[in-house]
Amino acid sequence: MSSDPLILALPSKGRLMERASEMFESAGMQVRKTGHERGYRGEIVGKPDVEIAFLSASEITQQLKLGRVHAGITGEDLIRESGQEDAMRIDIVRPLGFGNADVVVAVPACWLDVSKMSDIEEVAAIFFREHGRRLRVATKYLNLTRRFFSSKGVTGYRIVESLGATEGTVAAGTAEIIVDITSTGTTLKANHLQILDDGLILKSQAVLAKSKTALWSQHNQDVIEEIALRLQPSV
Amino acid sequence: MTAETSVSYEALQAQANSITDLFKGRGFELVAPAYLQPADLFLDRMGEAIRGRTYVFTDLDGAELCLRPDVTLPACRVYLERHPKGDVEARYCYNGPAFRYQPGGGDAMRPREFRQAGIEHIGGGDRELSEAEVTGLVVEAVKAAGLKDFNLRIGDLGLFEALIQALDIPERWRLRLRHFFWRPPVFRDLLNQLATSPAGSLGEVEAALIITLDPSDISASEALVSAHLEKAGVPLDGDRSLSEITERLLGRSADMETPPLSAGTVKLIEEYLAVSGSPRASLFLISEMTGAAGLDLGTALQAANARLDQFEEHSLGLDEIVFNSEFGRDLEYYTGHVFQIEIPGEGRSGQIAGGGRYDDLLQSLGAPKPVPAVGSAIHTERLLAAVQGGAI
Repeated sequence: MSSDPLILALPSKGRLMERASEMFESAGMQVRKTGHERGYRGEIVGKPDVEIAFLSASEITQQLKLGRVHAGITGEDLIRESGQEDAMRIDIVRPLGFGNADVVVAVPACWLDVSKMSDIEEVAAIFFREHGRRLRVATKYLNLTRRFFSSKGVTGYRIVESLGATEGTVAAGTAEIIVDITSTGTTLKANHLQILDDGLILKSQAVLAKSKTALWSQHNQDVIEEIALRLQPSV
Repeated sequence: MTAETSVSYEALQAQANSITDLFKGRGFELVAPAYLQPADLFLDRMGEAIRGRTYVFTDLDGAELCLRPDVTLPACRVYLERHPKGDVEARYCYNGPAFRYQPGGGDAMRPREFRQAGIEHIGGGDRELSEAEVTGLVVEAVKAAGLKDFNLRIGDLGLFEALIQALDIPERWRLRLRHFFWRPPVFRDLLNQLATSPAGSLGEVEAALIITLDPSDISASEALVSAHLEKAGVPLDGDRSLSEITERLLGRSADMETPPLSAGTVKLIEEYLAVSGSPRASLFLISEMTGAAGLDLGTALQAANARLDQFEEHSLGLDEIVFNSEFGRDLEYYTGHVFQIEIPGEGRSGQIAGGGRYDDLLQSLGAPKPVPAVGSAIHTERLLAAVQGGAI
């Protein structure tokens, strides 16, 4: 059914939305909402074969995974988080050069004796003996954290899921360690946290990504390739 | 698999009934621990690795629960509910489902929903007798179910513990070696580090502070660390006390002064971990190599030999057993004797049953003192498949 439009998901709010629409503008593709001003549907002027869906970045990842949208702009961190590395259902077409942020492991600044991941494992063992429980890692990145910690041989911890203000969990006493996103490190510092020397999990940025599970007509393949070519990564 | 066929269901039921009948006939009481368990208990004891394979969810009251990934821990909770002081000897058996995430939804040999038939002997006084009894009974059960060609692999985590204890090294190194024993690649790195530069590389701030500390005066050192934090305006977040942080800094400081692990010791540890073969010969080899290094493994070697004596009395033929000093490195709650019944060449899906001694688990679940315990579980789907020649 080659007449089905390509569904392209764009971030619906915040910096990601601004930068994404700027990027389309400067590529000569004007994105605008259709119908209701507060609605979540849109189009690219002069491109009737593309339908825009405005969604939150994490929703975009989810919809890509399920194949309900063909392509979208979202954070690389969210894509890597979305499943097992070897069974990714999303292809990254190209990085876009904005939305840069690092996913890092940070511990309390007062832990002067901890600077590396291997320190965490050792401290975890002592902590378990002294306190009778595991070190808690607050994060929304469950998969990334598990994969990274396991690659470093660190297992003596447990994750507490955090859906916001992760950097505050240590001071609040609900976690000892965090895995979170940071662009300058200022917020972490202000919350008396230090990034581990080998605690960089991922250098993330916004990417154009394609669903591997969506139904792809040849026409839509061509359309997304053309869009990818026209989008100029910002520097 | 959406549902099993009635044929395989009935076959599994029949097999389970005869296994539990055998267990009950030997004095093991049939118990039925809850399927739903507090997630904390598993996650705090087995770490995050098991969480990746456990179905964890939150109920309407906000309690974090899991579908049990294993029946040993729930059976221990049954014991503690009945005997909170941990002062009674008990023999339990069970047959019921356990649940583990399998990538891609699992298959017949790696089902995400499977039944474990097992026994736990808790509070038994005669250690080697209890180990032989449990091992022997599980071997008997799989044989009675019709399993013919299998290997019995055994190991002894107590021997490694004794070896580390006998080495002339700082206690903090023992802790690290013991701890990282469970993670073979990291263990190798640790050995390398201890053999080259024990203190490793230090951060700038850390190094500058460490130099000022006096290992012989702990409270003065704590005061220095405290002053350092205060000056930097850093609060003591993260639930570790000042003394925990200072103690580790002092450890690093001591590491700078301690001569590296000798090449001979590294070689001994590596050779120990490579020991594999017939049980008696393996123990002899370990006794030779540690003796030559002037190390005394204390009662651990005697215990290992006494266990083999007990095996023979429980008609476990030693010539069919393979000893592996490294075996058990991935099973974190075991503390001594470990064993596995496996079909050679079948990898994970050939692991029919496993078990061992776990002396620390009950105390960590709330018993006031360590309670000795030995247990084992049979993966019944795999057993049936093996008996039927892979057809399930």
